[in-house]
Amino acid sequence: METEQSLPPCRRAPEAADASAPRHVPGRIGELLTVVTDRPVSLYAAAVLRIGYGLLYLVFLLREFPHRDQIWGPGSPWTPELARQLFDQTGWASILTLSDSRAYFETCYVLALVTSALFMVGWRTRAVSVLFAVVVASFHARAIFMTDGGDNLVLLMAMYLVFTACGRRWSLDARRARLRASAGKTPRPPGGRAAAAGLRGSRRTLTSVLHNCGMFVIAAQVCFLYGSAGLYKVQGGTWGNGTALHYVLNLDLFRPWPELSLMADEHDVLIAVACYLTVLLQVAFPFVLFGRLKYPVLTVLLGMHLGIAVLMGLPLFSGAMIIADAVFLPDRFYRSLGRLWRRTSRRPDVRKTGAPPRGEQALVPSQPAPSSH
Amino acid sequence: MVLCLATALVHVLLVFLHVAPPNPLSQQYSRQVNAWIFPLFEQNWRLFAPDPESVNRQISARTMHTAPDGTVRVSGWFDLTAVDNSAVKHNAFPSHTAQNMLRRAWSSYLETHGGDDQPRSERALMVQRYLTNIAADRIADRRGGTFESVQLRVITVPVAAPAGGSGPDASATAPKPAETRYLPWWKVASHGN
Repeated sequence: METEQSLPPCRRAPEAADASAPRHVPGRIGELLTVVTDRPVSLYAAAVLRIGYGLLYLVFLLREFPHRDQIWGPGSPWTPELARQLFDQTGWASILTLSDSRAYFETCYVLALVTSALFMVGWRTRAVSVLFAVVVASFHARAIFMTDGGDNLVLLMAMYLVFTACGRRWSLDARRARLRASAGKTPRPPGGRAAAAGLRGSRRTLTSVLHNCGMFVIAAQVCFLYGSAGLYKVQGGTWGNGTALHYVLNLDLFRPWPELSLMADEHDVLIAVACYLTVLLQVAFPFVLFGRLKYPVLTVLLGMHLGIAVLMGLPLFSGAMIIADAVFLPDRFYRSLGRLWRRTSRRPDVRKTGAPPRGEQALVPSQPAPSSH
Repeated sequence: MVLCLATALVHVLLVFLHVAPPNPLSQQYSRQVNAWIFPLFEQNWRLFAPDPESVNRQISARTMHTAPDGTVRVSGWFDLTAVDNSAVKHNAFPSHTAQNMLRRAWSSYLETHGGDDQPRSERALMVQRYLTNIAADRIADRRGGTFESVQLRVITVPVAAPAGGSGPDASATAPKPAETRYLPWWKVASHGN
């Protein structure tokens, strides 16, 4: 962190003249390190990911309720025996193949429902996030031949979210911490204060570093997703001549509304434009994130995913992608969203919500300074 | 802390090597990449790429039953794909069982078997068993009857090129004929009621 001071003076003189790059780089790195160790960034985005994927998995499990035995249960055509055989080859594991009994499976299914719900509301988030990752990995591995890109993304995110402090905002945990703080009962042991403070400090550093690394990996993962999806499409002839989406629109299994698909298919110029836009956005995605351009790009992507959800009957996949995109929105945005929500929800029943002691500040207990990231 | 940062960076690098097309670097380190990525971080983002599928597959199955007196009875074809298609139609949230089960089972069969029906690996045999089970379960559910083996028929119908006819490629837009592939009879774990 002290790098700037330790620079020999002879190197400072020319830098004042030229564009300041060489001097600022070590300084920037120092700043970055401080941020990484001191403060978890994008806590709201992490919370949105937690709520989003928890809800998405809950909806998915409930949607497949009538088919649960066929997909994950002992009655699946991918029999428990086949699944175990595949695990031996690939090194996967799943809690679902531990027993072939129907009762055990139903218990696991209920456990998965409860875990997803608890993860969504953020109850004992760190422990539940581990459980959620185990559940998602188990269900994914059990039905590996029935998964698609959406499931794959949910699995990756479930795993990465374990490392993040995704329960700090908009969660039951946050609510509990707030109530405890307002009651003035901050757990502070009287004896051995220095040691306890030191322990707390290093624990906070560890949480911050883990969280920031986790968020970085999530962001990088989404970039790789778009980047590679785009670059693979560039190699395809039909994306080049603008007819790829014509073929997509004519796949029977991804055409829940044939009339709608047919209507879209008739506009070949529009199809070609959409093809080019898709490839362009996907390839450009990692590069637009560092400027204001990301907002229009994220908006177009949102529209694209909504289109995929409806036209192709892939709401799960689209939902997973939309939630992943949400990681790139700044805390500023989510805070104003939270204010807006509180304002609108307070208006109809003022009495019921009561008077939250200090509005915004009460909601963010452990953040030393308002984050600008 | 350093360990944490390093792990994050290495993970990102390995994921990059995993999703990137094969290149000298990823080939040289393929062992390390695979050891880290598989199975938890496996991923493939070739969504409709390089080209989207341009065929619809219609997969049907029929069953064979040998009576105790030795007479063999072969059933008519049962359209498995039609079940999926009708489950998807006018459904805002289609099930994985309709969109992915049969579709991915067949694409895995193509990957493991190729053009002929000789299973050359353990995986190929497993996928073959999976396909058999899907067909047998569906027929038993919807049509019932007693049978000891099933046969699949896969009709591949190409999606016609856009009607507009894009100039130089006009010759290629002539509709390709549908292809029909018959698979061998496979024994099933006896289904009957």
